Amino acid sequence: MSSPNAKRVLLVDDNPLFLKIISHAFTKSGFEIASCASASEAIDYLNLNIPDAILSDYEMPEMNGIEFRKVLMNHADFKDIPFVFLSYITDKDLMAEGLDLAAVDYVVKETPVNVIVSKIGNLIDTVQKQRELSVLEIKKAALALNIRTVPKVAPAVEGYDVDFWHQAYQDVPGGDFIDFIEVDERYSYIVLGDVMGKKWVAWFFTFSFLSYIRAAIRFGIMNGDFSTAEILQKVNSVICYDDALKDILSTMSLIMIDKQEKVVSYSGAGDLPALHYHAETGAMEQVDSSGLLLGLFPDGGYTEERITLKPGDQLYIFTDGLIDYEDNGEKKSDYNLFKSKLSNMIAEGLNFKQIRQNLLQNLSPSLVDDCSIINIHKH
Amino acid sequence: MITVSNEGPKFVIADVTITEANLSNSDQFKAELVSLLDQHKKIIILDLQELKYVDSAFLGALVSALKYAISLKLDIVLVGLRNDIRDLIKLIRLDKVFKIYNYAEEAQFAVNKF
Repeated sequence: MSSPNAKRVLLVDDNPLFLKIISHAFTKSGFEIASCASASEAIDYLNLNIPDAILSDYEMPEMNGIEFRKVLMNHADFKDIPFVFLSYITDKDLMAEGLDLAAVDYVVKETPVNVIVSKIGNLIDTVQKQRELSVLEIKKAALALNIRTVPKVAPAVEGYDVDFWHQAYQDVPGGDFIDFIEVDERYSYIVLGDVMGKKWVAWFFTFSFLSYIRAAIRFGIMNGDFSTAEILQKVNSVICYDDALKDILSTMSLIMIDKQEKVVSYSGAGDLPALHYHAETGAMEQVDSSGLLLGLFPDGGYTEERITLKPGDQLYIFTDGLIDYEDNGEKKSDYNLFKSKLSNMIAEGLNFKQIRQNLLQNLSPSLVDDCSIINIHKH
Repeated sequence: MITVSNEGPKFVIADVTITEANLSNSDQFKAELVSLLDQHKKIIILDLQELKYVDSAFLGALVSALKYAISLKLDIVLVGLRNDIRDLIKLIRLDKVFKIYNYAEEAQFAVNKF
């Protein structure tokens, strides 16, 4: 029986008997095995699944092992999967060619099956350890440079309780970013965004985004312009014209609290609508904004919603990981379901700390995204 | 993960064959969509009826492929969206950038009039 953490190996061989024997040996040792009778079948499989290692025969009709390896090498998602050649041939030139193609190893088919199994098991363990180490190194470096995409603590904003919760996917920093900017005694800004795309790349770009946003807010204030819509438009223009950020898109929810006028302004860029809880009526209102994702078009069409929070009212902004859930093993997203869950928790008298715990407990076990939520509670 | 099922003088109907579109396959999805645009130089009617779940990485890939299509003076049109995915697209205002139709036939009719 294979467990959810079982190592996944793709076997490619045109010999059905050999496939059967070796599949049996791997399965017996707890591996999850996919077997394909040809390289093209294997490529179809890879388009839907990424195994931990590939064990491929050399001699196959149509596409042989070397050609198969060459195809994988040209594919960003496949080239780093540990690849091992299997063959009856003990041809030194062939082995050299295979190793030139960054095949991790070479196994002669006469090797006892249990030795092949433990060899592949060790290989996967080594690669995984290396990966964990690299992640650890980057985390250490980021920590040393004191760069973070999520602050340690929420700010103290007079008249309001501001709090947040952030859960990184597999504890690896991802695309979500949060920032609190205290401008002066009158204005506070709250930023929540999600850079769409690959984990580490997204994480890297969030720093550029945060710098732009901070700069745009500061420049705006220097010119007496505090509008959240204007700030989003400025950030968007910079991103749209910056070649380095050409293919990067991001959502953003931007909130400004005006403590003097007791008004909250909200502008969104392709974000999920904010939620406003009315303490008096117990109603949960969806607050829509009309702006497009940052980096999509030079004119993002940003608008500004002015929200008056009465005593006890709450405002929530959040990223899309939170609206995901699992139903009979099928993943789904449902904004309205999250809205009613949140509404019920508030109705039951839960405070944000308790809501946070509740959300954490109910996170989908197959969560593949960051989750972030910010709560603004009027005293 | 994308197969062409029909082609007209102005458009290509491309079916997305995966059920779950997320971080793990979004890069490849974008690469396939970009190569379809390069290959056919036609408007792509993307049939998403097999798709049951999408995440933000996938939507990002879809949008960046659209930007590429626009740079070629082409377009990507979406059809066959499940209600919950269509709702999500509307919530984050992507319905303002993608033309969305219920069925491929409807999209073909509209595309022929572009």
